[in-house]
Amino acid sequence: MSRSVSPFVLAFAAMIASALLGAASANAQNADNGRQVFRQICSICHEVAAGRNRVGPSLFGVVGRKAGTEPDFHYSDEMKNSGITWDEPTLDRFIAGPRGVVPGTRMAYAGLKDEQKRHDLIAYLATLH
Amino acid sequence: MGTRTTTIASMLILWAMILSIGPGAAQSVGPAHVIPNSLRIEHEEAIEQLNALAKHRGAVGEEARKLIVLFKRHHAREREYILPPLTLLPALARGEVTPDMRWALEMAERVKADSEEIYREHTEITDACNALRAAAVRNHDHVAKEFAEQAVADSLNDMELLEPTVLVIGEVLRSKLP
Repeated sequence: MSRSVSPFVLAFAAMIASALLGAASANAQNADNGRQVFRQICSICHEVAAGRNRVGPSLFGVVGRKAGTEPDFHYSDEMKNSGITWDEPTLDRFIAGPRGVVPGTRMAYAGLKDEQKRHDLIAYLATLH
Repeated sequence: MGTRTTTIASMLILWAMILSIGPGAAQSVGPAHVIPNSLRIEHEEAIEQLNALAKHRGAVGEEARKLIVLFKRHHAREREYILPPLTLLPALARGEVTPDMRWALEMAERVKADSEEIYREHTEITDACNALRAAAVRNHDHVAKEFAEQAVADSLNDMELLEPTVLVIGEVLRSKLP
């Protein structure tokens, strides 16, 4: 009754699994690097713990969050009315140059120009759920 | 004869100087206006703390010295035209608006015109505070770390409260001055 699985199918499945594991591992590495970037650049103003707002809002759950909606944090009108939901592309543009995306934002940061660091940072932020 | 000519010339120069610092000159935008005492003290204390940090060894001292340059430049701008209008707040709160307040309107307009430049100055201070904080963390220097964190909070205070307040003062004066 049992049917043997073709060696080609097995090899293909192994390749897919390996690729997925590799991607997951790379992503974990990015997130690790991103944690360092966060510590060096962002943590002077931001916390990652839920509900802990400082000079900037808590970044817990920021990926997927509508901009300007963290409770108990006073945002600029420009941020509240930006209509942005933070996903990877918008975060990437914002971190690269906040006022280019939200003119009038009070985030006094000129921007992170290193693309890889932004990518890593966003990978880290995506883990904060 | 030579001495008399010199004396007359000196008197004329002195007279010209007295005229130049008359009421008209005092009302123009310039360094003659004071800032609220609380903010003057805050500036003095910040520079004092930074001077102390600048004496710390290694990277902390180095980053503190860089920050001093940025702070002094920003404070100079604040003293010149951002903070003086705030001295009018008590009078404005009493509903008093008088023509001799016009200088503050000019300053408020300048704050509005320079807002992007002022913002850029804040971003530079944030970067320098970050560098100071990173050095402080590496060197277990809690004083420097706390200073850097407080300084970025002060920057937000400027953007969130002080600078908008100056713009509000400008709007009040614009609507009430003849």
